[in-house]
Amino acid sequence: MTLPATLDEAVAALTAMPAAVPVAGGTDLMAAVNKGQLRPAGLVGLGRVNEIRGWQYQDGHALLGAGLTHARMGRPDFAALIPALAAAARAAGPPQIRNAGTLGGNIVTAAPTGDTLPVLAALEADLVVAGPGGRREIPVTHLLAGRELLAPGELIGYVRVPLLHAPQVFLKATGRTGPGRATASVAVVLDPARRGVRCAIGAIAPMPLRPLEAERWIASLIDWDGDRGLAPEALTAFGEYVAAACIPDPPGEERLPPAVLHLRRTVAALARRALGRALS
Amino acid sequence: MSNDAATAIPAVDGPQDPRQELPAHGLGASLPSADARAKTEGTFPYASDLWAEGLLWAALLRSPHAHARVVSIDTTAAADMPGVRAVVTHADVPGEATYGRTVADRPVFASDLVRHHGEAIAAVAADHPDTARLAAAAIAVEYEILDPVTDPEKAFAAPPLHPDGNLIRHIPLRYGDPEATGEVIVEGLYRIGRQDPAPIGAEAGLAVPRPDGGVDIYTASTDPHTDRDLAAACFGLAPEQVKVVVTGVPGATGDREDPGFQIPLGLLALRTGCPVKLTATREESFLGHAHRHPTLLRYRHHADAEGRLVKVEAQILLDAGAYADASSESLAAAVAFACGPYVVPHAFVEGWAVRTNNPPSGHVRGEGAMQVCAAYEAQMDKLAARLGLDPAELRLRNVLATGDILPTGQTVTCPAPVAELLQAVRDFPLPALPKDSPEHGWLLPGGPEGAGEPGAVRRGVGYAVGMVHMLGAEGADEVSTATVKVHDGVATVICAAVETGQGFSTLARQIVQETLGIEDVHVASVDTDQPPAGPAAHGRHTWVSGGAVERAAKMVRTQLLQPLAHKFGMSTELLQITDGKITSYDGVLSTTVTEAMDGKELWATAQCRPHPTEPLDDAGQGDAFVGLAFCAIRAVVDVDIELGSIRVVEMAVAQDVGRVLNPAQLATRIEAGVTQGVGAALTENLRTSRGLVRHPDLTGYALPTSLDAPDIRIVKLIEERDVVAPFGAKPASAAPVVTSPAAVASAVRAATGRPVNRLPIRPQSAVAVPTT
Repeated sequence: MTLPATLDEAVAALTAMPAAVPVAGGTDLMAAVNKGQLRPAGLVGLGRVNEIRGWQYQDGHALLGAGLTHARMGRPDFAALIPALAAAARAAGPPQIRNAGTLGGNIVTAAPTGDTLPVLAALEADLVVAGPGGRREIPVTHLLAGRELLAPGELIGYVRVPLLHAPQVFLKATGRTGPGRATASVAVVLDPARRGVRCAIGAIAPMPLRPLEAERWIASLIDWDGDRGLAPEALTAFGEYVAAACIPDPPGEERLPPAVLHLRRTVAALARRALGRALS
Repeated sequence: MSNDAATAIPAVDGPQDPRQELPAHGLGASLPSADARAKTEGTFPYASDLWAEGLLWAALLRSPHAHARVVSIDTTAAADMPGVRAVVTHADVPGEATYGRTVADRPVFASDLVRHHGEAIAAVAADHPDTARLAAAAIAVEYEILDPVTDPEKAFAAPPLHPDGNLIRHIPLRYGDPEATGEVIVEGLYRIGRQDPAPIGAEAGLAVPRPDGGVDIYTASTDPHTDRDLAAACFGLAPEQVKVVVTGVPGATGDREDPGFQIPLGLLALRTGCPVKLTATREESFLGHAHRHPTLLRYRHHADAEGRLVKVEAQILLDAGAYADASSESLAAAVAFACGPYVVPHAFVEGWAVRTNNPPSGHVRGEGAMQVCAAYEAQMDKLAARLGLDPAELRLRNVLATGDILPTGQTVTCPAPVAELLQAVRDFPLPALPKDSPEHGWLLPGGPEGAGEPGAVRRGVGYAVGMVHMLGAEGADEVSTATVKVHDGVATVICAAVETGQGFSTLARQIVQETLGIEDVHVASVDTDQPPAGPAAHGRHTWVSGGAVERAAKMVRTQLLQPLAHKFGMSTELLQITDGKITSYDGVLSTTVTEAMDGKELWATAQCRPHPTEPLDDAGQGDAFVGLAFCAIRAVVDVDIELGSIRVVEMAVAQDVGRVLNPAQLATRIEAGVTQGVGAALTENLRTSRGLVRHPDLTGYALPTSLDAPDIRIVKLIEERDVVAPFGAKPASAAPVVTSPAAVASAVRAATGRPVNRLPIRPQSAVAVPTT
């Protein structure tokens, strides 16, 4: 195991030993190792790369280090910047996991239930990837969808997130009151400058889903210069629009099984509640 | 957790604060467990902490299929790996090839057939745990995959999964007049999921070969003598050549470290001549040990217009998994208690336990009784709704009391204060509504960072009463033996009753303190060189092992006082021992225990054997149970009726305990039982797909966390002594496990208006409007 002190050193270490695996919090990686599913030839520990453990500001955006832990993102100063990401970080697992698990890890694990992913999708975040050939930016959704992959020796260094200065909400439904994996999650962010509402649904598909038509429709109803309020019927209609877009009816006479119908109702309720809270 | 209701509620009867004015020693004291400190500090040695010079590590190869024919097993590649010291398969078992607690139907290693996911096929010993695991993976097994039988209803007609056939037991209970009918009839179909005991510590053990050709097995067995006998038979050794030494038990609500784990371990130690250690992964633990029987129940209740039960008809189908294990006894409990603690003049209950290719089922506390409680209490709710009666009132019109007859024909001779229990929980003040206590945070269903919305939350209140049997049933010889030694002012208890967390070792100390007046009591660790004390199940150690300790202590007392009594010219009954001093009844004569001992060592051994029971006959009739315990619970739940998320706010418990021997420990047992029941009601279900366990880990199998555990209020403990039990005490762990899932389901029914006929309750069953 090597312990580089900078992002460039980490890239160099990975390039020098292509079979090595980068490890930050290890909450997913070590579980796979312990189960015997993964036997890395070497590890490049990112715990001492201090430059990716905080964040900085860059022309209206926050450049979030990939090594930010969920615990750090859940704190009030971060919540003031990107409220939905903070809420997702607070909802992710028990304290032990939040203390270790990182933002970058959540992205590369790309589990459907990854709590930060719908927020990043709704924020249309970009990844700053460091590699042997320098740095490049790719949209987070491209990585999650597999449209672009990390090349050997490449690492996620930063996540570029727009600072919208407007309400954002993240909600998730789980099977218990204590920490649990999401059965469905919703991120709703308002972008008053572009007069847009952006919404992403997590945990119901391999990657977060964006109901673009529903977003445009509801954004057209909002009085952006006024109090931004919406009638309850509009919120309900938005929820159902989102749910139908994410879980469409099967063609013909076929009907959705009861468990899927319940999931659709859950998505509708979450989207309605999330937008309602964002606009209240 | 908020304690919001506590401030608003006036003091009630019963032991609210167990620390108030109680003795510091002896029975009735809240004596803390002797190992509490070591366990808290993490220094208590469990089996997984054991180590021996030159030890090897074992790993098991388990079947990835639920049902398959084993065509060939090739261990060459594994045996040739550097560091591998032994590979054993079915061909290497020197003694009996099969074992089982009731029927020897389970192979040590699968030979021609695998019958469940995770069944052991081979075991490897190597000098490193990783080598052992890699070698196990390198064993080449050729399977011919067979269609698994996973629906217990189809097991009857399916080709036999085992030479013994698919039907493990059938009990057709017939009691009363089959033609009787009631004015009101309610029917229901209920499904109970597969709860896993999910012990905190996964299985682990160390086997050390002995110079005489035998083997010592260090493990957290809960029934060491049975395990030893089964293991010895498979090793082809005499029982004396095998010793099971019980290490600290990291949590047990069922059987632990069953022979399926110990036998491969012992075989490897015998084969290699080296100590061998095996620690199960969490996945292996889920796959290997016995689960609660998934159960399908069909009920028809007949009642008259006033709500008095006329007849109960029921069909109960237990999914036993591939092997019989304890299914026969679970079925007996399910059938006998199918009507619950209610007076039923006519009962017709058919019960079956069948073999499938699902994960194995066996003893998990409250087995059989818990599944039927969920069903008969759902029926009582249905009946109350049909008749427009209050659910608690309907139950009160039917409750059982001492002297009533169970549908098995057995007369209830023990205290059965069911009505009093139910009234106690009904009359206990309800927890404050969030709007009435705004200063406290309201934990919404879904948790502190969840999606809960106060406007969508409905509160529901539900009741359940449950019953469970104590000690082994149907003629099991429930004997226990204990030895008490006193020397140099210190008493030692030697009894092979395993401390599983039920508190036996603390209770044994209290019994000796009470009888001999000696504060310093040591409880010896358990191994099979001691006389047997039986399995730690059905509360038997509180009863029989506690009874044996008391008798032995009394014999020591007589030995100690006899010479003095002779000297003083009075009988031993007129002498008393307190604080290490012996005084006569009038206080005139006195001496110290040390002086009376005169450097002698006093020993006594005694047995306790409760009155015998008999098996249920062809009509399900017979005095099958030594004793019964009862419990009433009122559950209060909050349900988000759009998402179907449920939070149990409060569980108010009233329990029939006979006598409180250790108030603090009793409260802990009840709280633990209720929490386990809440898990069974809401989240705990080991899911399978075509017989394969889908998520054998603690992420996929959701146990209750501290946020899921409700406020548990022990409203009333009824201390009506059971005259046949030593001290009059009833074991207390199982009754709340049996009753609480039914109470939660009842409360969710009240909150949502939905029928709730499946446990654990799925979110889609708890949304207010049925999904169309």
